[in-house]
Amino acid sequence: MRSAKGKLLILSLVLLILFLVSVSMGRVFIRGTDLLTLVINFFSNNETAKDLLSRELVFWWIRVPRCCMAILVGSGLAVSGAVYQALFRNPLVSPDILGVSAGCTFGAALGLVLPFDSFYLVHILSFGFGLVAVSMSMALARVIALKSVMILVLAGMVILSFFNALLMILKYFSDPYEQLPSIIFWVMGSLSKVTWENVLVMAPFTLAGILLFVALGFRLNILSLGDIQATSLGMTPSFFRRLLILASSFMVAISVATCGQIAWIGLIIPHMARAIAGPEHERMIPMTALLGAIFLLTADTLARTISTAEIPVGIITALTGAPIFGYLMVKNRGSGWL
Amino acid sequence: MAIVLECRDLSFSYRQVPVLDHISFKVHAGRFCAILGRNGSGKTTLLHCLNKIIPLDSGKVLIFGKNITDLNQNQIARQISLVPQEHLDIFPYRVIDVVVMGRAPFLRLSQRPGPADYKIAHDALNFLNAGSLALKNFNQISGGERQMCLLARAVTQTKHLMLLDEPTNHLDFNNQYHLLSAIKSLCRSKGISIVATLHDPNMAALFADDLIMVKDNTLMEQGPARQVMTQKNISALYEIPLGTVKINEQKKLFFPESVLKGPPEPMDPNQRTKEETKGGS
Repeated sequence: MRSAKGKLLILSLVLLILFLVSVSMGRVFIRGTDLLTLVINFFSNNETAKDLLSRELVFWWIRVPRCCMAILVGSGLAVSGAVYQALFRNPLVSPDILGVSAGCTFGAALGLVLPFDSFYLVHILSFGFGLVAVSMSMALARVIALKSVMILVLAGMVILSFFNALLMILKYFSDPYEQLPSIIFWVMGSLSKVTWENVLVMAPFTLAGILLFVALGFRLNILSLGDIQATSLGMTPSFFRRLLILASSFMVAISVATCGQIAWIGLIIPHMARAIAGPEHERMIPMTALLGAIFLLTADTLARTISTAEIPVGIITALTGAPIFGYLMVKNRGSGWL
Repeated sequence: MAIVLECRDLSFSYRQVPVLDHISFKVHAGRFCAILGRNGSGKTTLLHCLNKIIPLDSGKVLIFGKNITDLNQNQIARQISLVPQEHLDIFPYRVIDVVVMGRAPFLRLSQRPGPADYKIAHDALNFLNAGSLALKNFNQISGGERQMCLLARAVTQTKHLMLLDEPTNHLDFNNQYHLLSAIKSLCRSKGISIVATLHDPNMAALFADDLIMVKDNTLMEQGPARQVMTQKNISALYEIPLGTVKINEQKKLFFPESVLKGPPEPMDPNQRTKEETKGGS
């Protein structure tokens, strides 16, 4: 068996190659030699030859930010899913369970329906309502204050249904020719409108989140034993649960607010990582981040190359995610976990 | 003898219902102290109060003379470990990775266990003759092996005081004795103090040095086994008339009187058929 570090290195190389393939693919194909020229020109401030100018624009202003975004969103969603699964001690948990995505989607839909025609407003409302939904779930669970984890899941279901109902009201009253399609497109998730600005807002939070989870990897193992054992091993589970839920919800909210709902990544990628690196979080969290990036980058490349019209990437992730999850369940049966 | 843990006037109530009422006792170094009591008498709650898993309403718990309310959870965990009762399936961790979690209170927040920590964990498993389990999946080993693994984790965690919640629960006949002997040998060879809740007073009679008897949420009796393991006390504790079976000069086992008298005569099969036909007609 190869060491965990070796596997991480191999997957990093895979991600790098995939990145290079992905930036050259699309409606405008960029050859390897042109790619090299573009990068060299950028760093040496050379003038770009006229026939390369259009490709330069596509490369630096559309492809590269989009691929960076796929990597950030993929790893962020996957790692949040891994943290949620550890905290809830449940393999079927994804970051949606406390209503983040539902809140974000409602917020975005509200932004799209409101008369102000501002794209910023959509992002901000989406992000805000995502965090509001999670906070409501946690507050509700706190008021009930019985067996904490189980109650938190139930409170999450309540809040999630509530925001889905609100979303339905918005859909029902929205203009069916202009607003409804944009809401539906949002729900399916897409990376097509990504700009450098989005990437620069997103990157620090995603990287900080991943670093936090990698640093607390061993503590996640202990938290996954349940409150009584974690306390007897010297931790204060309620504090760490709140901290980690807020941090991972923050990452999910910022993803959904920028790219819409991209399904299945938070659920299946942690399972794949566990199959490769083992269940210990100090080893599986970095693996989860890498696999999430690879998965979404692949899905997004397919989404924009498979046909002339772009397919929403959420459809590709759901379409491939479901069978992969089924396969993993068959493969891992009998480990006492599934 | 040094006092490891002292419990003074401890009270705890859950939603205004008293669960523990003014309980006081001491645990001495290197002694095996068993908590006996009927179901629902508050044994597990008492155990959880001792390392602040549940906060007390009133009274004090002192560990080496220090009040646990003045210590943070990490400081308590360095002195007191717990072998829990629940066995929920967790992620398929390897046994050694479960055992090494006992090092958590000694590591910085973001630190992961290193080779030295794994060595301590391996030594603990080997001490309990369970070294061969190290690389197995915790979810796929037997109940007895899991208890051994959790006991090894407790050994990894502390040299002072171990709390065990029904350690022999769900274990077969062999494993019950195997586990309690292992616990007793920890007491004797490593000087670790044990506080364990037990179901079976006979197990306590065989293994425990001291006893704490909890009845109706209060302390009924406590003291060295020789003094308090009497027919009268056990009978009062479990609210059942008892007979005893002497095994040697010092020790005797307890059984309900009705069982010692011998089982009731089996019913005459002819009689029963008659009764059944009567009932049917």
